[in-house]
Amino acid sequence: MIFNVNFFSFVSVTAGLLALLLILLEWTRPGLPSPLRPICDLRVLNHFIKEARDAEVAMKSCREGCSLSESVTVPQTRVEFDVWEKKNALEQAKEVQSGLWLLQQALNLLRTSVTNTALHSHIDNSIRNLLSINAVLRSLNIQEYTPPASAAGLEGTWSVSSAADLLQVHVNFLRGKVRLLLLDAQACQQDVS
Amino acid sequence: MSIYQSKNINNSTLQHSPMSEFLVSIFLVFLSSSVPSRKENSSRCPLRVLRAAGGKRLFICHLNRTQMFVQMDIRVDRDGTQIHSRSLLVELVFLLDPPANVTVSSTGQQGQLNVSWVPPPLKYMDDSMMYEVSYTTADSDVGQVEVARACSELILRGLQPGTKYKVRVRVKLDGISYSGYWSAWSDPVFMETLPAELDLLIVSLTLIISLVLTGLSLAILLSHRRFLVKKIWPTIPTPDSKFQGLFTVYGGNFQEWLGRTNGGLWLTPAFFTPEECPSPLEVLSEFSLCPSLASPPLPPKASKALTRSRKEEMDVRKGLDEREPLERVDAALTEGWRTTTHDQWLLDRLRAFHRNPMPSSQSSLLESQDAYVTLNANNRNEDEHLDDILEETLPLEVLFASRKTVLCESHSDLGSVQQSSGSGRLSSQSSFEYPNHMWMPKGPGYTYMAVADSGVSMDYSPMSRVEDIGKVVIYANEYRNEIPAHGRPFPSRQHLVSGDG
Repeated sequence: MIFNVNFFSFVSVTAGLLALLLILLEWTRPGLPSPLRPICDLRVLNHFIKEARDAEVAMKSCREGCSLSESVTVPQTRVEFDVWEKKNALEQAKEVQSGLWLLQQALNLLRTSVTNTALHSHIDNSIRNLLSINAVLRSLNIQEYTPPASAAGLEGTWSVSSAADLLQVHVNFLRGKVRLLLLDAQACQQDVS
Repeated sequence: MSIYQSKNINNSTLQHSPMSEFLVSIFLVFLSSSVPSRKENSSRCPLRVLRAAGGKRLFICHLNRTQMFVQMDIRVDRDGTQIHSRSLLVELVFLLDPPANVTVSSTGQQGQLNVSWVPPPLKYMDDSMMYEVSYTTADSDVGQVEVARACSELILRGLQPGTKYKVRVRVKLDGISYSGYWSAWSDPVFMETLPAELDLLIVSLTLIISLVLTGLSLAILLSHRRFLVKKIWPTIPTPDSKFQGLFTVYGGNFQEWLGRTNGGLWLTPAFFTPEECPSPLEVLSEFSLCPSLASPPLPPKASKALTRSRKEEMDVRKGLDEREPLERVDAALTEGWRTTTHDQWLLDRLRAFHRNPMPSSQSSLLESQDAYVTLNANNRNEDEHLDDILEETLPLEVLFASRKTVLCESHSDLGSVQQSSGSGRLSSQSSFEYPNHMWMPKGPGYTYMAVADSGVSMDYSPMSRVEDIGKVVIYANEYRNEIPAHGRPFPSRQHLVSGDG
């Protein structure tokens, strides 16, 4: 009887120690986030492009209360395939990320400028989508972009003064450079091959 | 560098001088980033004319540098003056060549075809392409269309087996990143689907179901075959059975048949229809009056006739052999008419009669010492008889049990009556005689048992005693359903029988 009691107590103590050890390990797990799974499905971007197009269409039908208060700096959206292919991945990523940053600033300004409430939802969607694209880029192991101190003087930019032009630039940028970058992403290439 | 075709913008203005060529140049102006100037970064593109169907002309200009995702302003000048201008995005107006190398093959399954093609060789646009596969049978004009996205093969399903199909493919950009117009249809490819084959499961199931249904219908038919036979082939009643030999022997000659059979066959038809309601029988015993004449043995039919019911009087022949027919008569008279000692007595009387030949007269008959019982269902006759009825006591009483219901029962049932006991009893106590003038014998050779039925009472009695012959008169007694303990005294030889009243 004494032996049984001893055995039982030994087993219970061992189990308790094991549980405690597991809890401690989980708690003290290194805080680094685990690498994100790469988002290679372009349907996500297609969804963003569609919503940006809806915003552009809505802006075209807007008569009043939908104007930029001041000129904004926007990236160039022009793409020539052979020129694009000559750039390496880093340059491409930098180009895309700086352009996204510029667009975020411009859309934030547009959000404050536009008084038409119907457009507010579209603009909010577009801002949210830009942040999601940043997350997608992050998942593809593309380095974070450190924004410059001021937007002026950046190469490959130009300025627009109308809200319609801004949204058109927004759509064209997503359709062009962002998509090409995601299409050629290295992380996605490994999955495909 | 891919080739881009610029469609002719406006046909009408260029058609009024069809014979000469126009020097048309296109100024392409690209939206500049620095200064939104019209002339900056603009380039000229020489046009090439291509004749198309319907008298149309296509002006084609090859672009050296294609800038996409940016607005392009196009201006068409003729002889220095602008005739057209338009702004567009190049990636949104793609018109591609149709897919090449369209191949159609069989997948190995019923009603399926595998279509594969080579997409247009454009970089970065493979997953933006949308295909339409048109398949139609060779004879019909209307075809069906299947859409495939971002893939270069498609399996057509639901096709008719064993038919030839024409398959074509065309392509378009899906319109999200790139957009454009439908390409021309590829060259049609003809392919025949696999021939139809019998599905084993369906065939076996059909066989089983048909077998089950046939079995069921046969079972139903067989179970109702009598009903069906009656309905389809109804039996036409013929009188052949009633008239034996009428058609077979005499060929339908009724008179001949009557003459030959001497009416004796009257018995047989009635025998076969026992359901006729029996009425009181006239039981006559027949024997030859002349000693030389040996009366024929009573045919067995006579006994049966006793139980038969007829509305009219019926004669029963009896032979010399009285005992047996009497017994048969007794047996036949299932009213329970029992004459146990009576038989012996009657036989004695018969013998006595034979020894003393009877004159053929009614009175002699009546004076015969034979017992006779006549059952007369005719009330009218009985009423006449009632006048001459005298009471008499007889040494021999005939008691019988009868049931009223027996009168209306069939022959087969009469035999079973003996075992039944009714609530009442009836008896007849005496015999009676017809007065001479009232009795019409059927003919010589008959002994009669006269019975008078007043409708209420029935009396059966033999002509019991020789000494009573002369004085016996006919009378009727009460037909009582009771124990004959009261009323007229019963002779010693009466037998109580029971029966329903």
